[in-house]
Parts: sequence; structure tokens; C-alpha cells
Amino acid sequence: MITWFKLATRNLFRNGRRSLFTVMAIGLGFAAVNALGGFTAYIFTSLEDSYIHIQGNGHMSIFKKGFLNEGKLDPTRYLLNEEDVRVIDEVLAAHPEIRISTPELNISGLVSNGEVSTIFLASGRVSSKVDVIRSRSRTKVGNMQLFDGEPMSDETPNGLGMSQGLADQLRFKQGDTVVVMAPTVNGQINALDGQMLQTFNSPVEALEDKLMLVSLEFAQSLYDTTSVDRINVLLNDGLLTESMRATLQSELVARGLDIEIKTWNELSTFYTKVKNMFDVIFLFAFLIVFTIVVMSVINTVGMAIMERTREIGTLRALGVKRRGIVGLFALESMLLGLFGSLFGVLLTLAVWSSIATLEPTWIPPQITRRIPLEVYLVPQEMLWSLLALLVLSLVAASLPARKAARMEIVSALGHV
Amino acid sequence: MNTITSIGTAPLVELRRVTRHYQIGENPVIALKGIDITIQAREFVAIWGPSGSGKSTLCNLIGMLDSPTSGTVLINGQEVNDLSDNARSELRNRTIGFVFQNFNLVPVLSALENVMLPLQIAGASSTVARERALERLAEVGLEKHVAHRPAKLSGGQQQRVAIARALVTDPALVIADEPTANLDSGNARRIIELMLNINASHGTAFVFSTHDQRLLESVKRRVLMQDGEIGSDSHPTRPAVQTRIAGGRP
Repeated sequence: MITWFKLATRNLFRNGRRSLFTVMAIGLGFAAVNALGGFTAYIFTSLEDSYIHIQGNGHMSIFKKGFLNEGKLDPTRYLLNEEDVRVIDEVLAAHPEIRISTPELNISGLVSNGEVSTIFLASGRVSSKVDVIRSRSRTKVGNMQLFDGEPMSDETPNGLGMSQGLADQLRFKQGDTVVVMAPTVNGQINALDGQMLQTFNSPVEALEDKLMLVSLEFAQSLYDTTSVDRINVLLNDGLLTESMRATLQSELVARGLDIEIKTWNELSTFYTKVKNMFDVIFLFAFLIVFTIVVMSVINTVGMAIMERTREIGTLRALGVKRRGIVGLFALESMLLGLFGSLFGVLLTLAVWSSIATLEPTWIPPQITRRIPLEVYLVPQEMLWSLLALLVLSLVAASLPARKAARMEIVSALGHV
Repeated sequence: MNTITSIGTAPLVELRRVTRHYQIGENPVIALKGIDITIQAREFVAIWGPSGSGKSTLCNLIGMLDSPTSGTVLINGQEVNDLSDNARSELRNRTIGFVFQNFNLVPVLSALENVMLPLQIAGASSTVARERALERLAEVGLEKHVAHRPAKLSGGQQQRVAIARALVTDPALVIADEPTANLDSGNARRIIELMLNINASHGTAFVFSTHDQRLLESVKRRVLMQDGEIGSDSHPTRPAVQTRIAGGRP
């Protein structure tokens, strides 16, 4: 085995320039796939982290059954009342896998500066609990302040935040008093004064002139209810999301609650769409690399076979079997794949460390602030790429190698 | 059809009514026309004749590098026509060593590694292969050149490495295709002496094709090929040419 390994390795250096170009092609392909893979991993992680932690939604949300389908038309019919919330809190408290849970009430109505009014959509939340969820963010964006002004706080229940577009439209600035109006759950018109604490950018451009953040207390007062529309749940380990959903679902139903639980990726359709898009892009990139690698290896092995036809004949004359010839070229091809992949690992590390050092920023879709651009190092993906390229090299070499092995020995020996 | 009969009871090689036809483009070429020949162990046989007479084809068939169109090839009494490619490869590795006109050494391997190769193909350990290869290289006088790659060796040295490689598995037969054709007279003479010495000391049979008159003069048995047939066979124990016209009775 050592002899064949030695022979294969030395053969690669017989036409060093050709082997070098093949190794470079494989290495560049490897780096392209892994840099893109690292970038998509960054995007996926950022989107996941943004929804779960930065936006404070947690890994899953518990709703009254039907809220998501029919609740938009008549939200007050599908609210979780105090008793429901108490039972849910009891069930959740029995699970140490749950880091924290927080109730939420989404409201809509009119916001006015005394001269003009416009519609708004607001989330009513418990700021201290949302802060705990945000503090679990694993991304650089999670450590950035994504609003201008003061943070929301439990101590200022009438404090509110407003999307920049809405604030500009109504000419609100920090500290201004804001009049918020909405029908209560009983159909009465209610109005509350709020204090403008902060402005932020809407994650969806179409909502830039409509979004507000209020405290849960404020939202409940405006709707004149003690109910909420969901309980958001943050787990200690996101990998337990599916199993915990099933467990909580059965336990809550057993306690007589008619509820449904949706996980973060079911609720974040944007994440799913972006992921699908990047999966297609990644597939295209991989197919391009696949073509480059296969063509390079076929060319290299094909040329080597042509140049070494007489040597193949000699080895066959000395007793090497057909599968031995295939094995020799397969080994050479796999070594090309291995050296190429190792070169690719170095290139990927260079790309990764350059980006980590230079810390470039960019403005991704749906965010109006500059945020750090990152390329993650994904060792598992690199390992899979290496294995895939080895197999690809092997498969690419097998066709010309099999042809070489089936050559007539006499013809091969007489080849000039 | 010519019929040549060699003496001996346990033939190392036996060809019975062997023909070999080729197709070159649209033209059929008959390289061998029903050859019968027997070669015993320890023989030293030269196959000679003009270009295109069928010398190389005969050597290739004896060496199992090619298959006959018709007829039977037996090695050590075993019919090899119907053997699988794998079985032929194993038998070739065990029984036959080859020396080629252009030496055909593997350029990326040293002299020692080239000689070790047939043993390693047979599955011998590196230690055993190394030991035996060093012995063979010493026998051909190249013990000081074991680490040299072929490109660093002269033609004569390369051919001696090739002979060491052919002998390293202790084959019963070495087939040499014009082994002195690419050598100057001094190296050619040394190669001839080396082969004769090995034949005498180890009892290895040699069959080789040649145009080299010096080599023919050193050989007891000379088989002349003419137009795909055996023209004459100067068998050592039979001074007269053992040729009969096809269809004739012995």
C-alpha cells in the first residue's frame, strides 16, 4: 500500500504545473463553497437569532387554537385569559429546559399628535423579560443598540417606541406625549397618553410607518382586558424546540386548554424564504464547483494516462491487475482532491480571518442600520466538502482509469 | 504449417497450432500461422528474424501479454487461453519476468524500488522485497546505484535494473524483447554475459527476440521466424533444423 501511495504521490509531481493547476482549481472551488456556506450560515444564524432573541419572540409561542387563522378578524375571541395564562405558567414552570416565558398582546388602533392621526400596529410586552431573551443573543448584532433614545422599561409602563417612519410622519421626538386610541374588547373607544421613548427601524419596510412598541400593561389598559394573545417561550437549548413543543402541547391539552404551539421557524416565514433562496444559490455554486472539479480531474487523469500508456502496459506485464491500475489512478485522483481540499481549507481560513480582522459592515435587506458582515467557519461543512471532493475526484477519475485498465497490454507497451 | 518439436518431458512453455490475426484498418494481418513450439526449463532461446516476421507476437503470446486467435498456449502444463485476466496477471507475476527493449522502468521510482515492484505486486512485505531486490541489484553489479532513479542511470545500467526486476520473483522464465537493441556494443556484451550467467547459475530460462548477431552467437537454440512461421530451430541437442512442411508426417 505504501508503495502505491508513494508511486501515486510521485506521479503527481511528474507534471507539477498541471497538478498544481488542478489542485488550485479544487482549492478555489472548495473555498468558494465553504465561504458561501459560511456566509449562509451567518445569514441563517442571524435571521434565527434576530427572530428568537433580538425581536424577543423566543423559540415558540403558545396561542389559543384558531388565533393564527381567524384571530386577525376577531382577535378578542382568541385571547388567553388570566386563568389560561396561570395554567400555562404552571406547566411551563415544571420544565427546567425553559429559560423564560413572557406574555404578549398585539394591538392596533390610531395614534395622534393632536393634529393628525394614523393607524398603528403595536406589540405589548414585558420589557424586563424581553431584555432577558435579548441578552441570550449569540450574534454581534445582538450586542448592538438597534434603537435611538431610551430603552423600554417596566418602570415606565406608558413609555412607547415608534418606527422611525411613523415618528417622522407625526413629527414625534423623544419625550413627546403621544395619544393612542383603540376600541376595547367590549367595543368602546379608549384613549391613552403615552410617552415617546425611542425610535427604531421596522424589520419590514412596508410597516416602517405603522409599528409601535408598548408595555403589556399599556396594551391591556388600551384594550381594557387582562388577557394576552400569546405566551412566548425561550428554551435553554434551541435543539429541544420540536420535542418541547410536543411535550407542552400534550401537557397543556391535558390541563383542558384548547391551545396550539408554533415554533419560531413556522412563525418566521421570512427566515424560511431566505433559507430556501440561499439553498438554491448554494446548490448552483456547488454544481459549478462540481463541474470545475470533475473537468479538471478528468483532464489531468486523461492526460496522465495518455503520457503513461507504456508504463501502464509495463505494470500490467509485471502482474498488476486491471483493478490495480484503476486503483493507482483513483489514488492519484484522490490525492489531487485531498491536496486541493487542504489548499481550499487554507484559502477558507484566509477569507475567514481577513473578514474577522477587517470587520466589514453592510446593510442587509430588512435592516436599515449597518451591521457586521461575517463569514462563519463551519468545520462540519468543511469536512463534508472534503469528503464530497474526494468522492468527486474518485468518480471523475474512474472513467479514464477504467479505460486505461482495459487497454491491451501489447498495445500499451507499443505506445509511443 | 511448420511443426517444431523440442525434447524434454516437462515443458515450461508449449504452443500448439497457435495463430494470431490482427485487423489493421480494413486489412487483416496474419502475424502467426499455426506455430508449434516447446521450450523446456533452463533453456536459453533466441527468436530471430526480419522485422514483421512475428518474433514479438510469439514472445507476447509466450508471456501471456496477448491471446492467440486460435491454438493453445500452455505454461507449466497449464492451459492459459481461458484463464481470467486476474489469473493471467497472477501467473505472469509468479512465473515470468520481462525485459523490454526500452527498459520500461518506472521513472519516479529508484532502481531499488523498481526492482521491488514485482514482489510488492505479489503482496510481499516491504522488508522482504527490499532484501531480495538488493540481492538482485548486487548480482547485476548495481549495489552502488540502488537509490538512483532511471534518468540518472546509463542505458546499460537501466537494462541491468530491468534484468534485476525481471529476476526478483525467481521466475522460471524471462522474456526479453530485443534487450540489447538500444545499447552500445560494450553494454550489449555485458548484458549478454549477465543473462548467460544467470541462466547458468539460477537455471532461469530465457526467451528473447533479437537482431543482434553477437547475442545469437552466444545462444545454443535459435528459432528463426519468417512470415509468421518458424523457418528453422537450431535446437542444441538436434544439430539439424527441425522443420517439417505443414501436413507432413513426423
